[in-house]
Amino acid sequence: MNIAVPPMEDKKANKLKSTRIAGKLVNDYWEMVWRAKEEGKLICWYEGSAINPFLEAADICWVHGEAYSAMLAARHQEETAQRVAEERGYMRELCSYARTHLGCAVSNQRLRGDNSGATPDDDDLTWKLPAPDMIISAYAYCSTGQQWDEMTSRVFGKKVPIFNVSLPWIWASKPDAGYLRGHEWHETSDYVARQLYDMVKFIEEQTGKPYPWDRLRAMMADIKRASELRLEAMDLCTAQPAPASFFDWVVSIAPINNLPVAGVKDYFETVLAEVKQRVASGEGAVPDEKYRLFFDGIMNWNKVGWLANKFARYDAAVVAGRYTHMAFWQEPDLIDPKNPVLGMAQNYLICPNNHAAPILIELIMGLCRKFQVDGMVIHASRTCRAFTNPQFMIAEAAQRQLGIPSSMFEGDVTDESFYKDELLNSRVEAMLEAIESRRMAVA
Amino acid sequence: MERQEIMRRFAEAAGNPLSYARAWKERTGRKVIGSFPMNFPGELAHAAGALPMILQETDDPITAGHGVLFPFYCGFTRSMVDQAMRGEFDVLDAIMFGDHCVQLLGAADGIRMHLTKTRVIFFQLISSMCDPWTQGRSEESFAKLRAELEDFIGEAVADDAMHASIRLFNRNRALIRKLYDMRKKGTAPLGAIEMQHVVKSSMIMDKAEHTDLLQQLVAQFEGAKATPNRAVRLHLSGHFCQAPKPELLEMIEECGVVVVGDDLYHGFRYISTDVPEEGPPVSALARWYMDRNTGVPCPTRVQNNVDWDAYLLDAIRDERADGMIVLMAKFCEPHMYYYPEVKEAFEKAGVPHLLIETEHEGMALESLKTRVETFVEIVKRREAA
Ligand code: SF4
Ligand code: SF4
Repeated sequence: MNIAVPPMEDKKANKLKSTRIAGKLVNDYWEMVWRAKEEGKLICWYEGSAINPFLEAADICWVHGEAYSAMLAARHQEETAQRVAEERGYMRELCSYARTHLGCAVSNQRLRGDNSGATPDDDDLTWKLPAPDMIISAYAYCSTGQQWDEMTSRVFGKKVPIFNVSLPWIWASKPDAGYLRGHEWHETSDYVARQLYDMVKFIEEQTGKPYPWDRLRAMMADIKRASELRLEAMDLCTAQPAPASFFDWVVSIAPINNLPVAGVKDYFETVLAEVKQRVASGEGAVPDEKYRLFFDGIMNWNKVGWLANKFARYDAAVVAGRYTHMAFWQEPDLIDPKNPVLGMAQNYLICPNNHAAPILIELIMGLCRKFQVDGMVIHASRTCRAFTNPQFMIAEAAQRQLGIPSSMFEGDVTDESFYKDELLNSRVEAMLEAIESRRMAVA
Repeated sequence: MERQEIMRRFAEAAGNPLSYARAWKERTGRKVIGSFPMNFPGELAHAAGALPMILQETDDPITAGHGVLFPFYCGFTRSMVDQAMRGEFDVLDAIMFGDHCVQLLGAADGIRMHLTKTRVIFFQLISSMCDPWTQGRSEESFAKLRAELEDFIGEAVADDAMHASIRLFNRNRALIRKLYDMRKKGTAPLGAIEMQHVVKSSMIMDKAEHTDLLQQLVAQFEGAKATPNRAVRLHLSGHFCQAPKPELLEMIEECGVVVVGDDLYHGFRYISTDVPEEGPPVSALARWYMDRNTGVPCPTRVQNNVDWDAYLLDAIRDERADGMIVLMAKFCEPHMYYYPEVKEAFEKAGVPHLLIETEHEGMALESLKTRVETFVEIVKRREAA
């Protein structure tokens, strides 16, 4: 069989219906953010780790930087922010999440800050992001994240109080080291938990009120449950055909990562019900599942739906990914709702990059086996080097340990100009051909 | 020893660090410990009887390293991985590092994966510099490094030995700072390449040997009169982990420039700060780590209460420089983040600066030269006005 013929144009991804709810929840969240100043709420900017329950419990409006950049890119409205950032001197090679978000910060300063004068356009989401009253930086692994926060504070003239949580990288070189175990893991978890308690003191200073621990505990009970539901639904995708794809789980990141806690459990209950029903009826995430793939790398936010359809046309179900399956309250068992801080710290330490390559690779190989994938697509995101760091080693391990081929394509988180379609096509086709010949050899 | 001979020895070590290490190892039979920049306390490894050396980017084109890191990484990290893959690091008994620029982490992971026989030790330094726990956490990190080192060497490192190493390293830094001062005043007319050789060789050579040569060098300039120089006085800024290429520095000077100061890592940044000589050595190292960032702020750290841009403007005033050339290694994210701050501050203060992006391979020196010449003309005209 020759895969390299142009794929069927009319085939589309069979997206989960329930993920449409995520779209609405996301819109409601941003509407809430845009109204927050008028409602007299304090606003905190943060990126990286999901510290939002700490803020939501204290009635602080939480604004997640990556989420804003991703939302702009998903709506194809990222260009203005990126241009404004570039005008201030932020170069194109900088993390495009940060660049887009810093562009929003610069616009905000120009149009609403001390030097106001210009009239903002109400439809332009670049300036519309409300300025922060505080910044909390808690970025695992990637030094870029911490510097991005520092620069945000400088764009606002260093007038906004900033709190830094340091999340060490798990290097895991000692004999007792491993995933969620060993002295280093426990020492690091305690160190981060201590800082989170200090962060709570910082929050108290900002709100002038004692911290409502009970609310945090209730929220973490909900998040724990939501996380379990999400993982259960993802696990059901070991079924063939897979009832949902990596792209459905990408759409479900916002609910687990940064939306108001109240709606999150319901959302994943609905998703799980749909997934179960699909498994029962044998309905797949792509119309004709012939290949099962693993996706390594961060998302191309300008391209989510587009990529989902592209793989569907190749009859390839992308069943799991590092971004979706190794992050976002990934270890609910670690969370004790009665005493949630340590478990929260530990979940922050488990971002899809924060373990050194040997552990990461072991986890990824485990997922590939579990979901019985035939190949791996690797998105080399030009400006997110946190994700690209181990990718050659991951590809090598997939080949050596599992005998599966991989294909790399260049793209980016939110800067479309780095994406090269022809390259993706030819590489995916070559990989599918390799999968076919492997199958023939086995048969 | 003659100045030329001293400079030749410095240049030789700077140009071929791993050969120096091999010869040293043969001579002494002791261990060589390579480290990544920029905050590794060589004093500790020295006190343990090893030769600490900061690993250097080479000029070699990247070959084997292509299979580990993407081409959109800074030249330093790509060169590190490439050297490791080509077996160049065989002379090293261990590699140690404590900094966590995201690209450096990629290089470290790649190197550990491929150099299975070399011990790669990581002790993470906190990069948030003004938290109430920064000193405490830094002490914990340096203590961890000390323990790892002791485990690796197989014996304890005594406080006394550490104090002696600290004193020696301080002496070495003080001598280089003296040269900087003399260059500023014009009594030590050292070119940019010579200055780089002085500092870079200090990152590589046996500290006692280097200090001895430095002492002789400084003595030769002592009491000298300032030589008048009509060239445009410039400050060189930037370049963290890697030394700017000598041909680039040469080209800049050929355009009628005299470099009177810098904050390059292979320059003043490396020797700016001493380690306190009293008290527990691990606390002293932590103090040094923090003082260093207030002394010469580093874009790889975050510290809301110090400003690199303000530091640079002060340095320029002090050096009586007429402007600044920023050397930015391509893909260096920490630098890209801070550059707009520097640019804005310099524009506001009316101090001219020129940004040059440098590359590991294939830098178009001719067209860069035209830009530097134009910049020098602008600076001159501004001075004349
Ligand atoms: S480079 Fe990647 S991991 Fe780092 S801040 Fe940007 S998006 Fe986050
Ligand atoms: S600080 Fe810059 S030069 Fe150093 S490793 Fe990071 S990116 Fe490379």
